[in-house]
Amino acid sequence: MKKSLLPVTTFARIDIKRLFRDKVAIFFVFIFPVMFLLIFGSIFGGDSNISFKVALLSESNNQFTTNFVDEIKKDDVFDIDEKITTLDQAKEKLNRGTIDAAIILPASFGEPGTSGTPAGEATVLYDQSSAQAGQTLASIMQAIFADINKQFVTTVTPFTVKTESTATKGLTQFDYTFAGLLGFTLLSLGVFGPTSVFPRLKQKGVLRRYHTTTLKVWQYFTGNVISNGFTGILSVALMFAIALIVFDLNMRGDYLSFLVMILLGATLMFGIGLAIGGWAKNENQAAPLAQMVALPMMFLSGVFFPTFLMPEFLQKITQFIPLTPIVDGFRMIVTEGMTIFELGPQVGIILIWTVVVYFLAFKLFRWE
Amino acid sequence: MSTLIDVKNLTKKYNGKPVVDGISFAVKKGEIFGILGPNGAGKTTTLEMLEALRPIDAGSATLGGFAIDKEPEQVKGIIGVQPQTPSFEEKTTLSEIISFFASIYGEKVNAKSFLNDVGLLEKANAYPETLSGGQRQRFSIAVALVHSPQIFFLDEPTTGLDPQARRNLWELIKEVRDKGVTVVMTTHYMEEAELLCDRVAVMDNGKIIALDTPKNLIKALLKKGFTKSAKVEQANLEDVFIDLTGKALRD
Repeated sequence: MKKSLLPVTTFARIDIKRLFRDKVAIFFVFIFPVMFLLIFGSIFGGDSNISFKVALLSESNNQFTTNFVDEIKKDDVFDIDEKITTLDQAKEKLNRGTIDAAIILPASFGEPGTSGTPAGEATVLYDQSSAQAGQTLASIMQAIFADINKQFVTTVTPFTVKTESTATKGLTQFDYTFAGLLGFTLLSLGVFGPTSVFPRLKQKGVLRRYHTTTLKVWQYFTGNVISNGFTGILSVALMFAIALIVFDLNMRGDYLSFLVMILLGATLMFGIGLAIGGWAKNENQAAPLAQMVALPMMFLSGVFFPTFLMPEFLQKITQFIPLTPIVDGFRMIVTEGMTIFELGPQVGIILIWTVVVYFLAFKLFRWE
Repeated sequence: MSTLIDVKNLTKKYNGKPVVDGISFAVKKGEIFGILGPNGAGKTTTLEMLEALRPIDAGSATLGGFAIDKEPEQVKGIIGVQPQTPSFEEKTTLSEIISFFASIYGEKVNAKSFLNDVGLLEKANAYPETLSGGQRQRFSIAVALVHSPQIFFLDEPTTGLDPQARRNLWELIKEVRDKGVTVVMTTHYMEEAELLCDRVAVMDNGKIIALDTPKNLIKALLKKGFTKSAKVEQANLEDVFIDLTGKALRD
């Protein structure tokens, strides 16, 4: 038994060394995923709070208005363009879409009204093209005024609405996107790696030479799985470190569950690549097949956009696509702090696919 | 000498057309056995069947007592194979490749001593893609012999090599034979067969049309009254070339 494992460990050791000598491989394993992370991270990363670019035009000089303007300036929702001072300027900027809305406080704003307390009407001016931003801003203004109104008039509000986000506090859009990026990395390493490497080795006759020896398919596969699992861990670890440092990723789960998930995901994705690359005689066969398998997974597994945006019948199907439980698993561990033991359905689907994919890979493998 | 390889009525068909057509021969332990023939004669297919790479369509072959169709794994354990164009994974040192091939047979070896045997010790940390044609052939021989096989198959080993590299390879093959390894090789260079092989089988159109020692084959031809039309020279151009450039390897 020990003797039959010698080629497995020897191959894995040499294969890992080989990775670090190959500039192209280093690019695809480390540089490419990190570039992807940085690009997507800067799109979805950082501050997830919404803010609106607005012009604030006040014709009123009373104390109430001054306090009100100060408060609004402090609020992160409003990003006030101080350079705009006239209505014409504001209209022009609105037309060009450089600001979302203009808030206009008339001269009478904040002057005592009929009941003796400060009163007035603010106008939110927006362009038809950014109606949504304008209306959202109007609601925000209304909420602010409702708070102010309470200070002057005591009213009873039997019915109220309280809004709460399902995401735990502090969770950013980036935390959500990150799991998808990890899935994407495992997919591209696992599927596109072997589908280009194996046909090349076949055409050069390298695998044929192995076939003249007593090397078994399972030994060759296992050696490859070990080295590729290792590669996957390194690649994900690098992405993870950058996500923690640059994008303030909130890691809620435990690292052991995370590691198990990486290994499960990397093994399954590599199995898909192995089945395609092991079957294909040349790159002309492998490349289109790899694309055909990888592209639907990329778009249907919640890598780039959430699966809940899809029609219901599609959602039912997508949960069984091999990449979906991997991406979901990462998401549940990283953002929801679940352990691998709580991910029964995900782990189950991954394991079933792993058996299917490696069975196919064994059946379809050709040495030349 | 005892028989190590026994081939009877070996047949391989592609699309119904026989490429190897019921050939029979025996290879004795410790000899260099040559299979000669023009391109397309069926030499390589014969070798591939004996190497357990291609299933046989009819007939039988035993190597070291193992039947090729029933015990291919045992056969693979006692043979070493030198392909026509040796190719290895890139960015892998010669030492690492030797270690990996040895590990397949469950062995840990001193890669350097194997490289020393073929004059490539100083290349231990080089990658195979940096080797010259002759160096690659020699390295490939070291790889094929890493598990001390009983039988060594070579498929046109000197094709594309310069005269110095070719002579060097001949010496190497003789050394392998002298260590007790039985050598089976294909070639289409007659002087190579004449110099190197103890016995040769001449193949054409999938059949063996002659099988004997090179000397006996020449004698038989002369008996038929054959004479060369040109006067026999005491030396040929290759002798001149080697005299001028020396026998030393150029890679």
